[in-house]
Amino acid sequence: MDATLISIGLDPLTAKITSMVIISVIVLLAFVTIGGILTLVERRISGFMQSRLGPNRVGPQGALQWVADGVKLILKEDLIPEGADRKLFRIAPYFCLVGIFGTMVVFPWGKGVIVADLNVGLFYFISITALVVFGVLMAGWSSNNKWSLLGGMRAAAQIVSYEIPVGMSLLVPILISGTLSMGGIMASQGWLPWEWMVFKSPFAVLSFIIFFIGSLAEANRTPFDLPEAESELVSGYCTEYSGFRYAVFFLSEWANLFVLGGLTTSVFLGGGNLPGALEGFTILSVLVYLAKVAVVIFVVIWLRWTLPRFRIDQLMSLSWKYLLPGAFIAFLGQAAYMLLTQHTPIVQSIIAVLMFLVFVFVLIRFGLKVRVSINEQRIPVNSPASNVS
Amino acid sequence: MTSALKTEYLTINMGPQHPSTHGVIRFILKTDGEIIYECDPDVGYLHRGIEKIAESVTWQGFVPYTDRVDYVCAMNSNLSYCMAVEKLMGMETEIPKRAEYIRVIVSELNRISSHAVAIGAADMDMGAFTPFVHFLREREHINDLLEMACGARLTYNYICIGGVHNDLPPAFLSKTAEFLDHFEIVVEQINRLISYNQIFIKRFANVAVVPPKMAIDYNLVGPNLRGSGIKFDVRKDKPYSVYSDLDFDIPIGSGRAGTLGDCYDRYMVRVEEIRESIKIIRQCLKQIPAGETKAIVKSTIKPPKGHVYFRTETPRGDTGYFLYSDGKTSPTRLKIRTGSFTGMSIIPEIARGVFIADLVAIIGSLDIVAPELDR
Amino acid sequence: MGAYFQNIKDGFTTAFEGMSISFATMFVRKETVQYPEVDISSNATIAEKYKGSLMGMPENYRGILDVDLSLCTACQICQKACPIDCIVIDNIKCDKTKLSDGDGSPVLNRFTQKEALKTRTVTRFDINAAKCMYCGLCEKACPTSAIRHTNQFEMNRESQEELILRFVSDDVKATAEKRASEIEAEAAAKKAAKAKKAQEEKAKEKGAEE
Repeated sequence: MDATLISIGLDPLTAKITSMVIISVIVLLAFVTIGGILTLVERRISGFMQSRLGPNRVGPQGALQWVADGVKLILKEDLIPEGADRKLFRIAPYFCLVGIFGTMVVFPWGKGVIVADLNVGLFYFISITALVVFGVLMAGWSSNNKWSLLGGMRAAAQIVSYEIPVGMSLLVPILISGTLSMGGIMASQGWLPWEWMVFKSPFAVLSFIIFFIGSLAEANRTPFDLPEAESELVSGYCTEYSGFRYAVFFLSEWANLFVLGGLTTSVFLGGGNLPGALEGFTILSVLVYLAKVAVVIFVVIWLRWTLPRFRIDQLMSLSWKYLLPGAFIAFLGQAAYMLLTQHTPIVQSIIAVLMFLVFVFVLIRFGLKVRVSINEQRIPVNSPASNVS
Repeated sequence: MTSALKTEYLTINMGPQHPSTHGVIRFILKTDGEIIYECDPDVGYLHRGIEKIAESVTWQGFVPYTDRVDYVCAMNSNLSYCMAVEKLMGMETEIPKRAEYIRVIVSELNRISSHAVAIGAADMDMGAFTPFVHFLREREHINDLLEMACGARLTYNYICIGGVHNDLPPAFLSKTAEFLDHFEIVVEQINRLISYNQIFIKRFANVAVVPPKMAIDYNLVGPNLRGSGIKFDVRKDKPYSVYSDLDFDIPIGSGRAGTLGDCYDRYMVRVEEIRESIKIIRQCLKQIPAGETKAIVKSTIKPPKGHVYFRTETPRGDTGYFLYSDGKTSPTRLKIRTGSFTGMSIIPEIARGVFIADLVAIIGSLDIVAPELDR
Repeated sequence: MGAYFQNIKDGFTTAFEGMSISFATMFVRKETVQYPEVDISSNATIAEKYKGSLMGMPENYRGILDVDLSLCTACQICQKACPIDCIVIDNIKCDKTKLSDGDGSPVLNRFTQKEALKTRTVTRFDINAAKCMYCGLCEKACPTSAIRHTNQFEMNRESQEELILRFVSDDVKATAEKRASEIEAEAAAKKAAKAKKAQEEKAKEKGAEE
């Protein structure tokens, strides 16, 4: 892009800055769109899970609902409660925004499609998302509302606690791939399911589960949505927010969902890897990647609309008593496993295929259960047959 | 330097507009961080003076008001009041048998829908919204059935003094039977979705334990009392209507997931009562006789002088109507005793030292309905 | 230690179970009734566009009240039966007529099973639909089924005043009042004539005696 700009007569420095601005705007807009669409997707899916239809009036099948919601939120009056710490109150949403959007820098959209493949990419990813906790804490503190304060405190305790098991569990992929760069981790996996990071060893499976649970908690999703637990804390840290600032919180929450899916996909689920013959089709790689992200996001939404919420002490005990020891076991076990099997790659492959088969078995079990449930729900009620007495 | 920081309790106002105090209930909480040190319930936000209104409307005219006493189970409220008036007039034996059976069918259907709402609301307070909507979906079928019987979905005014207003439509019985076959399976499915969920059990088990003695001391009634392991049910111990002819069990708490009398016990008692109600309705559908549905009652009734107290088992427990008649066209004094009020009175005792999130679970498990609480 | 692993196992299996159910629900009929598009006024019409299992409105649905003035005998029983006094009826004495349906068959009093008789005419029949609680007591009390609930439930009006349903228009009221005054005048004339006649007869008798 720089070259194009220079060719139309800009000097190199201006060209660089202009191109950076343009790219950031594109990325930002892409993220806003993704966040918006995800709100709609979540509402539709939750509707289907509850025998409802969900929003379907604005545009075809409700496709423009998120635009309407966004416009509504922006047109709302931006209230700042009396007694609020005005500076912190105003700045808090942008900490959340920056924390989420900052990950864009190392976000691998597909093979080779990455803004900056930092050699500490994963590390950067984890640390930049920690900014969210500042935003949430500030919002909770500055709102001058006790419910918000409790929400902010909960969020701080929760996110800080869960960063540890998440960080620990990410050590396993790092061990396997031997790099911290997102591109490198993605490149160390293949396109076949048993070449994905998650199936590489039993310990990788364990670390994947821990990572997934932990990042759910970091993203404040049910069953860990305590910071904004509606039935307990009204709306948690964003109780007092309205208008645009609320929209920013809202957006970063759903963008966070996408980030969660993206990180899971690129680290554990093979990213945008393609079969050797199709190597080089970047668009296809991006599509594969996005499809996997969509599946992960669906699972997250699905979990949210199935499970009840933890209590704060149970949340802490889950983190410290269950996930953290598990993450240690996964890390040490993986190290030992690699030491034992480093000269027999065939054993590694067999175990990977076995892990995949176990997964397939679980899926089949699941399918059978789903079939039973569908049949149960299809038992007729108010059928025409019952009209005669 | 000695600590200059001083700590103090945080006073939080929970309600009247709080998402988990369904309706308008207010709690003034003194908390130490998230742990409740003192909880002071504040009732009266939904007080409509129904007991006073009774003194200026006719005896029949008060029946629609009993719908509003507890709109989650209006049929049961109707039944309590009408049976109390019938007892006052000494015409209990004149009620046609078919009317008695219809009353039991509709009030048990209403009990199911009320328990479905209670359980669903408890689930929703625990953060699981889907089971709540599933329960509402099933409740919608019950509403359809009752609407078919009487023409209204929520405030039925179907049971009247002397029987029921009109006979059931022809398709009602077959549709009810079909619904029960459907619901029996689906309610078990919803239980698998939420009631047996490990997170849910951990949230409810061992929280807010009410030992049997405390339950009696605080005068808990209905499922809350039975959740503490005390086998008392007005339908069984002081049978009214045709309950003495019906065969059903009384589920009681047994410390399924922890301690006897915890939130989970109270919750599961309701789940099991749904099954018992299904059993009762099935028997009624089999036994219901043909015939009249209303005894002859004058258009303006003047019960003899005297007073009566009549208790029935509504979904929220032993509901009693005290009527005092001066032989006039309207009651001289009417007093309603409801289960939610006693449920509310125990909250300060059991909500000491629990988390705010547990208070939400307590409200959900005690099934407190604001209109019934304040009347 | 056993409880520790039991917790983990139970956590996973029950979550698995729950997820299978919420997933299954996605493939079962949706119960939402898309209200304005779907005609919910009866079981037959709802089935046209709606695939779920909810019922339409039953025939005895208690909607907005409607009064058939040709059947109303102005007996005011509904007014007395109403627990919240949302019905107001004024009446005047009028022609004595036997009520009949459209086809000419006589209307029977619901309670006495005798032919219903109309001796008075309503000059005002107001129902405050904003106040009405749709309990159905008036419908049940009416001896000639003149007042009854309709299937109508859409009641958007711009002011509360418009929510008061006035069934007797001013014209009808004026006609009725005119007719009543005629009847009154006739009756008075009759009475006067009768009195006069009586007097005359009395005078005659007196004359005969003399």
